[in-house]
Amino acid sequence: MLRILLVTDTAKPIGELRETLLQQGYDVLTDAASSTALLSSVERQRPDVVIIDTESPSRDTLEQLSVMNSLAPRPVVMFTPDADQQHIRAAVGAGVTTYVVDGLDADKLSPIIEVAMVRFAEDDKLRQRLAKVEQQLADRKLIDRAKGLLMDKRGLSEAAAFEMLRTQAMKQGITLAEMARQVIAMADLLG
Amino acid sequence: MSSPQPNHSLHGTPEKNRLRVGFMALTDCAPVVMAHTLQLAQRHGLQLDLVRQSSWAAIRDKLISGELDAAHTLYGLAYSMELGIAGPQCDMAVLMTLNQNGQAITVSNRLRDLLRSGHTLRQIADAADKPLVFAQTFPTGTHAMWLYDWLAREGIDPMREIRSVVIAPQEMTGALASGLLDGFCAGEPWPAKAESEQVGHTLLATSQLWPDHPEKVLACRRDFAALYPNTARALIATLLDACQWLDVPANRREAAAVLARPEYVHCPADLITPRLLGDYGNALAQPPGVRFFADGAVNPPRTADGAWFVQQFLRWGLLADQHVDPAAVAARVNQVDLYAQVARIRGNPLP
Repeated sequence: MLRILLVTDTAKPIGELRETLLQQGYDVLTDAASSTALLSSVERQRPDVVIIDTESPSRDTLEQLSVMNSLAPRPVVMFTPDADQQHIRAAVGAGVTTYVVDGLDADKLSPIIEVAMVRFAEDDKLRQRLAKVEQQLADRKLIDRAKGLLMDKRGLSEAAAFEMLRTQAMKQGITLAEMARQVIAMADLLG
Repeated sequence: MSSPQPNHSLHGTPEKNRLRVGFMALTDCAPVVMAHTLQLAQRHGLQLDLVRQSSWAAIRDKLISGELDAAHTLYGLAYSMELGIAGPQCDMAVLMTLNQNGQAITVSNRLRDLLRSGHTLRQIADAADKPLVFAQTFPTGTHAMWLYDWLAREGIDPMREIRSVVIAPQEMTGALASGLLDGFCAGEPWPAKAESEQVGHTLLATSQLWPDHPEKVLACRRDFAALYPNTARALIATLLDACQWLDVPANRREAAAVLARPEYVHCPADLITPRLLGDYGNALAQPPGVRFFADGAVNPPRTADGAWFVQQFLRWGLLADQHVDPAAVAARVNQVDLYAQVARIRGNPLP
C-alpha cells in the first residue's frame, strides 16, 4: 500500500486531501506541519509520496533528501521523462508539488497526482475531472478485490484472475469495474 | 543617479519592460528590494514586480516555467540548474553578482561549549555516539558549499561523517533550540536571530573561509538573456545602481528598515542592521562584512567564480560526470559580455 505524507505548513488546505486518499485505500501518514517534522517523518516513516504546497518553505528540505538519499522522495514533476515546460507549468499552476520515491510505477502515481492537482486547481474544468479520477480509483480497488477473490477461490495466479475478469467483461459487454462488482456480489452471496 | 531623464537609450530600448523578479527573505535581497523601493528601474525603461518566494526550489521551478523573469539566486543554484543536478536541466544565465559575504556558520550552545573547552570539531565528532547534524539551505547552494568546505578544513568528510539536512531558515533557531541540530549555515539575518535568542553562537562568518566570496547572483534563463539583451542590460544597470546606493552606510540603515517589513524579510530591523553594517558585536573579531558594490569590484560575473561552484559539485560527488569542464560551463553561464557593456558605460571596473 502506498504511504502518503501531506505537508500542511501553509494556508493551502492540503490536509483536506487526507479523507479522499484514505477512502481510496492509501496509507496516509500523520501530517507534517514544519520542515523539521517533514524531515523526521521522511527519515523514520519513509513515505512513497509527499504532497506539498508549491509555495511551502519546506520544499528545500525535500530537495536535500532527494540529492543525498536515493530512497527519499524526489520531485516527480521534475523527473518524469515528459517533464516538458507545459507539464511543469500545469503543476505550478495548481500550486501543488508531488515528490515520490525513485522508481515508483507511474500508473500507481498518476491518480494521486491527478487528485491533488485537481483538488487545488482554481480551474472549474479541472475540478470536474476530480469525480472521474475518484471513480477510476474506486474502480481500481473493486478490480483488485475481485481479482483477489478469484485467486483465492479458484486458485488462480494474479494474471490468470485478471484475464478471467477481462474475458467475462468482454463477453457480457460491460466494464471491467462492473464485472468486478458482480464477482464481489456473487462471492458475498455464496459466502 | 538622481537624474530625472530616462537613460535607457544607453542600453537600447528594452524588448520587454515589465519584469517579475523573485527573491528570498534574506538581508542580501537588499539590491532587489531597494531597486524596487527607490524606483531605480524606471530610468532604465523597466518596471519591476517583486515576488517573494518561500523556497529555492520554487525559484528554480518558476524560472523554468517562465513565471519569474529573473531572480536573486544562490550562485550554486544557477549552476546546478545548468548542469541538471537534482532537477531538470535548464540553460541558465548569471547576469551579475549581487553581493559578497554576509553568511555565517552558527553552532548550538552545546557545541560552542565543547569547542571552547579546547576540543577540536574532529575530536567532538569522534566522541559523539551519533553523527553531528548540520543544516544548510539548498543541496547545491552556497551555504552547503561553505559548510562542507569548513567541515573539510576541520578534517571531517561532510558526505560521510555528518548528517547534512535542509531546514527552512526561519525554523533554524527553533531546530537548534530543540537539540535537533548541532549547527547551521545560512544567510543573515537568521544567524543573528539565533545569536540574539541565545540558542546558538556565530562561530564564523563565511568571509573568514573565503574573504569577499561571491554569494547571490542575478540569474535568468539563458534564452531570456539572448532574446531580450536590452532588457538584460537595463536590469543589470538597475541592480548596479541599487548596489552602489547600498555602499553608503547611512543608506544601509535605511535599507534595514525597509527589509524588516513583513513583505520582505519580516524580521526586526534590530537583527538586520548591525551585521548589514558589518558589526558582529562580541560574536566575532570583525570579519569582512557583506559587500554589494565596492566601486564595482563585487559585481562582475567572473567565470572563475562560476567554475568554483562546478568544482565543488565534482568535489562532493554531486556531479557524477567527471568530464565536465568547469571553465567551459562558467563561460556559457556567466554573461560577461552583457555585463561589460553596462559596466563600461557606468565606468565600473572589469576583471
